[in-house]
Amino acid sequence: MNRRSLAAIALAVTALAAVPLASKSDYLLGVLIVSSIFAVFAASWDFMSGQTGRENFGHALFIGAGAYSAAFLNLEFGLPPAATVPLGGVAALFFAVLIGLPTLRLSGPYFAVATLVAASIMERLTLVLWETTGGEEGLTGLSALARTSVARYYVALTFLAVTVGILVALARSRWGLILRAIRGDEAAAQAAGTNTTLHKMGALLVSAFAAGMAGAVYAHYQQSVGPHVFGVILTVTIITMAYVGGIGTTYGAIAGAFLLTIMTEGLRQFGEFRLLVYTLFLIAIIRFLPDGLLLPIFQRGRTP
Amino acid sequence: MLELLLYGGVSSAIYALLAVGFTLIFGVARVFNLGHGSFYALGAYFTYAGQTYFKLPLLLSAAAAVALVAGIGVGMARAFATPMQRSVLAALMITLGFALLVEQILLLTFGSQARNVQNMIAGTVQIGAASISAQRLLTLAVGAGLIAALWLFIHKTRLGAAILAISQDREAAQYQGINTARIFTIVMALSAGLAAIAGILAGSFLTVQPDMGILPMVKAVSIVIVGGLGSIPGSIIAALLLGYGETAVAFLFSTRFTELVSLGAVLLVLSLRPAGLLGKRAAF
Amino acid sequence: MSVLLEVSNLGKRFGGLVAVDSFAMTVMPQEIVGFLGPNGAGKTTLFNLLSGFIEPDQGRVVFDGVDLAGRRNHDIVNRGMARTFQLARPFQQLTVAENVAVACLCPRARRLDAGTPYMDRARALLDQVGLGGRADDPVEILPYGDLRRLEIARALATRPRLMLFDEPFAGLAESEIQPLAELIRALHRDGLTILIIEHRLRIFMQLVRRIIAIDFGRIIAEGAPEQVVNDPRVVEAYLGKGGSPDAVA
Repeated sequence: MNRRSLAAIALAVTALAAVPLASKSDYLLGVLIVSSIFAVFAASWDFMSGQTGRENFGHALFIGAGAYSAAFLNLEFGLPPAATVPLGGVAALFFAVLIGLPTLRLSGPYFAVATLVAASIMERLTLVLWETTGGEEGLTGLSALARTSVARYYVALTFLAVTVGILVALARSRWGLILRAIRGDEAAAQAAGTNTTLHKMGALLVSAFAAGMAGAVYAHYQQSVGPHVFGVILTVTIITMAYVGGIGTTYGAIAGAFLLTIMTEGLRQFGEFRLLVYTLFLIAIIRFLPDGLLLPIFQRGRTP
Repeated sequence: MLELLLYGGVSSAIYALLAVGFTLIFGVARVFNLGHGSFYALGAYFTYAGQTYFKLPLLLSAAAAVALVAGIGVGMARAFATPMQRSVLAALMITLGFALLVEQILLLTFGSQARNVQNMIAGTVQIGAASISAQRLLTLAVGAGLIAALWLFIHKTRLGAAILAISQDREAAQYQGINTARIFTIVMALSAGLAAIAGILAGSFLTVQPDMGILPMVKAVSIVIVGGLGSIPGSIIAALLLGYGETAVAFLFSTRFTELVSLGAVLLVLSLRPAGLLGKRAAF
Repeated sequence: MSVLLEVSNLGKRFGGLVAVDSFAMTVMPQEIVGFLGPNGAGKTTLFNLLSGFIEPDQGRVVFDGVDLAGRRNHDIVNRGMARTFQLARPFQQLTVAENVAVACLCPRARRLDAGTPYMDRARALLDQVGLGGRADDPVEILPYGDLRRLEIARALATRPRLMLFDEPFAGLAESEIQPLAELIRALHRDGLTILIIEHRLRIFMQLVRRIIAIDFGRIIAEGAPEQVVNDPRVVEAYLGKGGSPDAVA
């Protein structure tokens, strides 16, 4: 990575870390916490779908698994976030294996579609099994991430930094190279001796684990969970963030997450029309900007 | 037992109307139209609006609704044909975006409370030991009739032959002078219309809500995977399997677990026979 | 000297069409065997069957004493049988060196080249095929002839004992043919056993020592090059399809 990118990242991290010193606004901290959590959602999605090219259309499945597991473990057994978060990741792994095993060895849209189906069905199940899951209202009363909002902010930021650090390290490793080769041409990768199904499964497990943890963090931040954590809208939001930032570049997903979360806040004035504007924006991006919004801007500053 | 037969048939009929249209679109354009459920929802809502706000008689509302939805299908085909062919991700995202857009518009226009389309036929019918609402029976009859009509259309008309040709080999069909773009538009209109009819019929005994289209879309996808991508008989058989499977689960265990039938069927098929029951290949 | 590849009763049908029919052949180490036949004869299908890209309906493919029939393609590569494709298939959005490096990371290469850092190995391979200067270029800007060389470097990175070349000279300009032929000869001298499908007869005849002629998925002639090319059955197979073998060169 060149010096300019490194400097930009260092600047961003320092700026984020310094926010509580400059501002006393809980609202601002809240927006940035949500941005950080969504950044992990998006970066974890991008690790699978951006690196291997196998698009996950039900990423919310992993997020929901992590969120609801954290809720159960916290409310039933009193486990603190420090325990529920990694366990949320483990819960997501279960779903990753369930869906990934039959579908990743197939070419075509099966993986994308199976993840979509699974997430939708899980959303339905949370409504149907309302005695356990709280149905539409969900579960409330989860422990908070930390006692003060500043502490919560730093917890979220650290979570973001550590998770993203690991994802980036993996993406830039030999393994990341293999994953991107699979994206480039899967059959050719097989001809080069790569067991593509195994590697895709590995990428999915990493992606799911990160998303599951982030789901648990989200649950503890909101101190509640509801069926929307399995929802199509959440998955589409995450994909949009990764799309806008530039698919395949982990930092792009993060930038996209921050940009869109802040934009969504800015749309609050539209009230009920917010989601509508959002959806129109999404369709427009896909229709007219296939390479995303931020990546081309970013790339113009580099040599080709 | 007889009730199971009848109720299962009703579900299967609705699913078949959705799945066959979905599989037609896939066959002709190799695209999963994740917005298919929107046609279902719009059919119900337009009919409701026609009756409630424009005070039109039910059948007229229904007919207008079907025509409108078919028109929207055409519009979608025109507007999104290019990006949809570009990449799988783009197609899935755009159609999914469309589905969400429609859901939002419906939510903003009609509010989130559940509504109903008026029954076309009132009353209950007694068949042997079973009783079933006349509306449900009508749904079964209309559904079966339309599927049969579609079958004849595909196999006995030139247009149907063209659709089959494109499904089998798009390039070869183009060489033979078949206008694939025009056929795609026609198929979209046809599929949208079928989905709308399913929504109108079902809208009287199932709830009409802004998000009513997502689950039918998920079911349609599941059916098409189980039946085999691009195979119409496969879709019909899979629709029967799913319709009866869900009804059986509801009767024997609980309505709570019906959704697991489709998920289980999809995972089972993908593990054992990815091409589906009657599909030819396991991929595009 | 023990047999390297022994194929017996290999068969594959697609629906009603028999693509490969009870195919049998023996390949000794360090042979260069050519495959000849009109379009649609089943040559590429044969290669796909041998390399595991298609599953055979029947038959055995015994490579180095182990039956590989029905095994998956990456499995077969890791046993020492590599192939190139008719159409070049580079890994998009990666550099030239990265393209080869991925193959250097396959289990077989990691095992046999344990001491060497994989990037060094990739660059060495690129030098060997004459692409050393383009190692850090994005693969998208490579001209077609160089892409074919990249394919070869990538296949070589898996440390094969047997290499299947599927029409390596297709689409190449006249000036590119001799250098590529020289590369193939050099690989052969270094110990590689080679199977090659090719339509461009002139260069084909210069390279191979034995030819197997195929039509309708079956062997119609086998033997020394001049003998096979002049075999009446072979000539008829081409004439029947509207041309003679020479016409395709």
